[in-house]
Amino acid sequence: MMEVGTELPPLTVTLRREDLVRYAGASGDFNPIHWSDRMAAALGLPGVIAHGMLTMASAVRVVTDWLDDPADLVEYGVRFTKPVVVPDDDKGANVTFSAKVDKVADGLAEIDITAVAGEEKVLGRARAVVRVR
Amino acid sequence: MTIDATMVGRSYAAAESYQVGREKIREFADAIGDRNPAYRGDDAIAPPTFAFMVGSRALEELLNDEELGLRLDRIVHGAQKFSYTRPIKAGDTISATATITTVRKAGPVEVIMYETTLTTADGEPIATATSTLSHNRADA
Repeated sequence: MMEVGTELPPLTVTLRREDLVRYAGASGDFNPIHWSDRMAAALGLPGVIAHGMLTMASAVRVVTDWLDDPADLVEYGVRFTKPVVVPDDDKGANVTFSAKVDKVADGLAEIDITAVAGEEKVLGRARAVVRVR
Repeated sequence: MTIDATMVGRSYAAAESYQVGREKIREFADAIGDRNPAYRGDDAIAPPTFAFMVGSRALEELLNDEELGLRLDRIVHGAQKFSYTRPIKAGDTISATATITTVRKAGPVEVIMYETTLTTADGEPIATATSTLSHNRADA
């Protein structure tokens, strides 16, 4: 099961403007670049962008959905390489997450996560370390 | 006022501890679209990135240090990492302290790394968050 090369079931998440507003409320991060086109444009962004922490939260679901117990996650890190632009329409932005076991040693497995929106990778060096039972 | 390497080691404790409630965990899990049953009910644990929200109270104190002269609207979150001793659980009372670990400058851009430790009121470790921020002092 927890073998090097194992691919975890991928996950596609659709982020709409409403989801950003909900995340802003739940997390307390009300930075207007996550809900105001005007403020995003003023800062030179291509549009309203998703909270990096929302993308990060979505990405790790590939791993925690696969584990019997999400408490087995011991380490998780990402780099935010490209913003996820979320248009104000019904379609929103799709981000697809996939993951693969890269290393298993000493009771721990290291899992590489890939996050793609459109054609672009939006996270770099996304990696989770989990306890192997 | 500006930030430089002499500020490495400065520490900022959140003004108040964070009391974790099961309904807040549920609200957060809903907001990230995560239906995992581990994040529901009396024995709920929190989703992994919940730790960032708890730590952000210490970040607020860091941003309030006028000697650093940081402005939220000039900051981009570059990288984030968490190490967990155990998951955050409903019922926890958590103290957060952020410590500046690295300051690098490249022209008007300052790359700041800080580490936030989350502990129980008794000092038992829960998790450590390592954050990288880019702060741009150039006028937009």
